[in-house]
Amino acid sequence: MNNISAVIASWAVNVSIAMVALRTNLMRSILTTLGVMIGVLSVVLAVAVGSGAQVSVMESINSLGSNMALIFPQPDSEGGRNTDTRGRLTQRDADALEKQLSGVTATAPQLRATIQLVAQGRNTSTSAIGITPGYGIVSNITAEQGRFITESDVQTGARIIILGPTVATRLFGDFDAVGQSVRVNRIPFTVAGVLESKGSSFGNDNDDVALIPISTLRQRLSQNSSLQGPDDLQVLFVGFEEGVALPEAKKQMTEILRARYRVPTNEISPFTIRTTEEFMKESSKVTGIFQMVLVAIASISLLVGGIGIMNIMLVSVTERTREIGLRMALGARRRDIRNQFLVEAAVLCMIGGAMGLTLALILAALFQNLANFPAPIGIGTSIGAILFSAAIGLIFGGYPAVRASKLSPIEALRSE
Amino acid sequence: MMKGRAVATPLLEAKALHKTFELGGETVRAVNGVSLTINRGEFVAIMGASGSGKSTFMNMIGCLDVPTSGQLILDGSDTGTLDNDALASIRNHKIGFVFQQFNLLNRTTAVDNVAVPLIYAGVGSVERRERAKAKLVELGLGERLDHTPAKLSGGQQQRVAIARALVTEPLMVLADEPTGALDTHTSEEIMAIFQRLNDQGITVVLVTHEPDIANHANRRIVFRDGQVIDDAPVKKTHGGGAG
Repeated sequence: MNNISAVIASWAVNVSIAMVALRTNLMRSILTTLGVMIGVLSVVLAVAVGSGAQVSVMESINSLGSNMALIFPQPDSEGGRNTDTRGRLTQRDADALEKQLSGVTATAPQLRATIQLVAQGRNTSTSAIGITPGYGIVSNITAEQGRFITESDVQTGARIIILGPTVATRLFGDFDAVGQSVRVNRIPFTVAGVLESKGSSFGNDNDDVALIPISTLRQRLSQNSSLQGPDDLQVLFVGFEEGVALPEAKKQMTEILRARYRVPTNEISPFTIRTTEEFMKESSKVTGIFQMVLVAIASISLLVGGIGIMNIMLVSVTERTREIGLRMALGARRRDIRNQFLVEAAVLCMIGGAMGLTLALILAALFQNLANFPAPIGIGTSIGAILFSAAIGLIFGGYPAVRASKLSPIEALRSE
Repeated sequence: MMKGRAVATPLLEAKALHKTFELGGETVRAVNGVSLTINRGEFVAIMGASGSGKSTFMNMIGCLDVPTSGQLILDGSDTGTLDNDALASIRNHKIGFVFQQFNLLNRTTAVDNVAVPLIYAGVGSVERRERAKAKLVELGLGERLDHTPAKLSGGQQQRVAIARALVTEPLMVLADEPTGALDTHTSEEIMAIFQRLNDQGITVVLVTHEPDIANHANRRIVFRDGQVIDDAPVKKTHGGGAG
């Protein structure tokens, strides 16, 4: 107990000695601190931008729908294999998958087309997705105004359209779009609803989209010549319940499709299946590397700051050799002298670290508000930054401090 | 006159002490075989020209420097067997240093200057301040506690330095030309302080080249070429100092 308070007291003494020394050479202290400040600032910002990227990637994957698989009728091009063979994917496949797999919440067969919209003299183009009601379940999206596409819309091939918020604003401004008529590639449609906003990811506006019943798109708007039959699909989303193991489900889907198209096991599957889990893993790997590279680059400036600390501490030890000798004459042990200079370096670095952290917090907030880019700095990062800068002080202040402590008392006292 | 001491107990015993330096390929024998004993309560003046070895000897008995050969026994312990920490502890607890140039910390108040040795003695901050204050008051600087050295006269600065030397209640005060930077009148004041300390039982060893200053001591040791050439009691002819 007594021992601990004595240790704390001796460190407190060193801190006050350090403050006097730092104030004595105020300008020099400030300039040295600046180096550490810039280093900590850049490392903290790098961490923040890295985790910001992570967050926005995760958000955009989540906006696809949480637990799902995407099936494309092309062989998996990953690994540079040739993609000459094109597969087929039909509504019947979708039905078969839904029937044979367990834990499926819905399937969302899709066709895509680029469409031209004209309403009240304004025109715009966007990408249209031909869907069934299942799309709303799988992609976790609903209409904010009006209604979503229903089963009967699909059966009747209704000429209705659901607009993304961006498209709705472009065509109708602040006015209510629901119930308005709009010409889609010169064919009259009625706006049945406006989607809720899904934000943007990687500069991609997720709201610049229009949804149309799949049957309507196939009959009236399809431009795709690769479709070989009346119920061909371009993309199929399959949504699963929470807790369904996606790797297992992916294996089953591959087997079902291979069986349906009688693809021998030694031949490449003509389908690509991707799961959200895979997207998550891949992109967190990519953003992790991205963050590591950023931090590594930023660390260079911290290293330079640390070298500045070492330089200034060496100067300080040289200048104060006589003081060191005096303290030794008055009873300072070697470790007392070493600790004094270690604390001085650590204090210098921690002041720089705190300033760098403060500046980083301000810049991150600006980033978030002005550029709409998330740059979160957590408590952990903040405490880590301060401790890390103290560590920089101890590492780069270590050599000068040990050198000071190894001085011979009499030679130090004699120096001018 | 001086209080007599019934039994002389040795505080410091130097036995065949040598100190050599290598300087430009030549061996300099700064201290070349010195054997002497200083008893508790003595007031010793060490004299000699510059280069006579008196300062080197002083540094060794102050545990600031280690002898090349020979033995130095301080308060019963052989300093040759002690490590750096133990030597630092001896400097802290048993010896008080007073320097010619005062060696005070510039940006630090008188109280904090005096308290420095107590930091290394592991004394708590409140007690440090109390003890430093008491020593300064004792030396007549009660009004100057929070003055920095720049705001003190030379005599006052040296008194702060003496307070610092005394704050750990050492057995011995080592003063290296303590009046070298002071005028005659102030020098007399400082010497009166040393006299008083000695009367209180503290052993005082001072290095000087001024005979007037040396006359305050009871014993004079003269160095030349690294050896003691004279070691005798001081004859108090005109009752100098406070004696």
